[in-house]
Amino acid sequence: MRSFIKKDLLIFWRDRKEIATVLILPIILVLVLNFAFAGLFSNDGQSSLDLQLAVVNQDDEAEAMVQLNEKLVNEASIGDQEAKALVKQANDVHPVQLLFEFLESEDLKDWVTVHKLEESEAVDKVKDGDLDAILIIPDGFTADSLYAAFIGGSPATSLEYKLEKETNNSSTLYSIIHGFIDHLNYQFAIQEIAGTSEVEVKLPEGGFEEIGAGETFTMTQYFTVTMGVLFALFLVATAATKTGVEIREQVFNRILLTNSHPMQFLIGKMVSTICLVLLQIIFVIIVSHFILDVFPNRSMTFWIGLITMVLLLSLALSGLAAVFTAISLRVTDIDAANGIFMLVILLFGIIGGNFVPIYMLPDWLQQIGEWTPNGLFLVMLTEWIQFEELSSIAKPSILLTGFFLLFTLIGFVLFPQRGKAK
Amino acid sequence: MLETINLSKSFKGKKVVQDVNLYLNNGESVGLLGPNGAGKSTTISMISTLIKPTSGEIKLNGVNTIDKPGEIRRISGVVPQELALYQELSAYENLKFFGAIYKMTGKELEKGIQQALEFVGLEARQKDLVKTYSGGMKRRLNIAAALLHQPKILILDEPTVGIDPQSRNHILETVRMLNQKDGTTILYTSHYMEEVEQLCDRLYIMDHGKIIAAGTKAELLSILSTEDTIKVELNKLDETFVEQVKTIEGVRKVEASHLQLKIIATKGSNLISKLVHLAEQHHLQLINFHTETPSLEDVFLQLTGRTLRN
Repeated sequence: MRSFIKKDLLIFWRDRKEIATVLILPIILVLVLNFAFAGLFSNDGQSSLDLQLAVVNQDDEAEAMVQLNEKLVNEASIGDQEAKALVKQANDVHPVQLLFEFLESEDLKDWVTVHKLEESEAVDKVKDGDLDAILIIPDGFTADSLYAAFIGGSPATSLEYKLEKETNNSSTLYSIIHGFIDHLNYQFAIQEIAGTSEVEVKLPEGGFEEIGAGETFTMTQYFTVTMGVLFALFLVATAATKTGVEIREQVFNRILLTNSHPMQFLIGKMVSTICLVLLQIIFVIIVSHFILDVFPNRSMTFWIGLITMVLLLSLALSGLAAVFTAISLRVTDIDAANGIFMLVILLFGIIGGNFVPIYMLPDWLQQIGEWTPNGLFLVMLTEWIQFEELSSIAKPSILLTGFFLLFTLIGFVLFPQRGKAK
Repeated sequence: MLETINLSKSFKGKKVVQDVNLYLNNGESVGLLGPNGAGKSTTISMISTLIKPTSGEIKLNGVNTIDKPGEIRRISGVVPQELALYQELSAYENLKFFGAIYKMTGKELEKGIQQALEFVGLEARQKDLVKTYSGGMKRRLNIAAALLHQPKILILDEPTVGIDPQSRNHILETVRMLNQKDGTTILYTSHYMEEVEQLCDRLYIMDHGKIIAAGTKAELLSILSTEDTIKVELNKLDETFVEQVKTIEGVRKVEASHLQLKIIATKGSNLISKLVHLAEQHHLQLINFHTETPSLEDVFLQLTGRTLRN
């Protein structure tokens, strides 16, 4: 087995053109794309953002003090007189008003435009792409916030932040709203009202996605990761092409005649693909990082997680290499097969978000894209870069492992029996 | 040692090998002679277990190798017609890879590599990449790769195709040494009659997927023992003259080429006087005239009506 792996790695290493293609070209592309699109996508240029936020106010402030009084008496068992005194004190605090003041403040008004809308209208506009997100102030928000502040608990009602798709704009909006909560707490603190309030990000019906607070996924990171993965996909096609050469030059037949098990050939291809993909992506990421500071100030845990994810992708792609290799051994026209492999790779690249960010694609294509190994890897890595939480990458990791097992199984089933190879 | 019994192979309903019966005794050098497309490579592929026969049997010391292919793979080396080598690896790396998958390790592998390289005269260039080699050197390395595990049977499928005379002689000498000094059993296919004549103790002549003749060189030549081969050179060639030569009593075959006629006729046909007379009638001048000792080429011509290179 070791001989097969060593042979494949040596052959790849001797192919200088291939080395340049998979190692140097992606880095050049990362640099070019990064500089070409820096002005267009730069996160530093937030002043140029025009964030469109729909605010749906379902809270009835007129009823808020009555609701607060009832909650204090019924739920907190506070005496009627004492409750009335607290309500009087609370009359000076208007969380909804504070929220609007915050969103329309001098600091924000240049790049956040607030649209006060009904929920249905807001949902339609976000779906149509006219607005970036919706902030819903639910019924009872004022009473709940004040009640929570008085008793020192968490409010039962929270602001709801909804968005159609994840973008840099929507992520920025989330940060702004979170800033408001800090501001609100500050106001409570000034008035010596203890308590906290949190924005709860919900996943409502209708295919909305959730987004939490975390690191921003930058375009430089996007280009680095996608170029690395795209050329790793090309590596898989190369593995199949090299199998074609082995068939054409009869070395595969010579291997069969040595009495070694033909599956060793296939497993050798898979293991060498794992090594090559792993080294290739890590090389692209690390070199890009040193040139462009792609992942600044990230912890060792982040890097370990990143390498683990690349390993999972390598496994999945080795399975794909097994499928391609097995097909190469079955077909009579190896050039046609190589052409088809390249088409498959390009298709994976397109729908997996390696050419354009996945959120730019139609919804149905996005959903398919997440069922490609590279698309899944991109989703997983985006989560990891932003939140660095194991829970968020657990499911994609299992799916990537599933891809590996599925592709490997298909490769083994398709692998021709002795004498059946073309 | 090795025999095939009614070995046949069909591809998409077309029979490319039909009922081939051949045998190889231990230490023997056997040639399989035939033109391109005769079915030699398919026969060898079946014997070496690369493809399964449609019908028939292959036995190695009585053991059916179709059921137990490991038996023959273990003791045989195959030199394919194509250069089955990794062009991007050096000769040493190629042999190390093939040796390792023959389960050779350590000193045994190293010794096997150096012996094989020395045998084919490539030890000085062993670190060079195969793609930098000449055609002849690649052919020699192709043989070395089949010798690594010191096979008892060496099967060579047209190992001298497309190389210079010097490399060809080197390869023929290597094969001869393997057979005569090491006692390796040889099955050598070629469409070069002179190679097979030079190397092999016994021959099988194949055409259109069938064995059409078998035996030692003398046995095969005896097919022509009742015939004379006469070559006539004329100042010009006249088609009517050729047609009339064919009608002379005792003439079996006439082959015209440029200004020459090759005539196979029954011994004692008294052809010379008849030819002179006929030439005079057609106002042709006989420039040269001689009787040839028959060759295997003539045997093949006699058997198939074609030359080997047709």
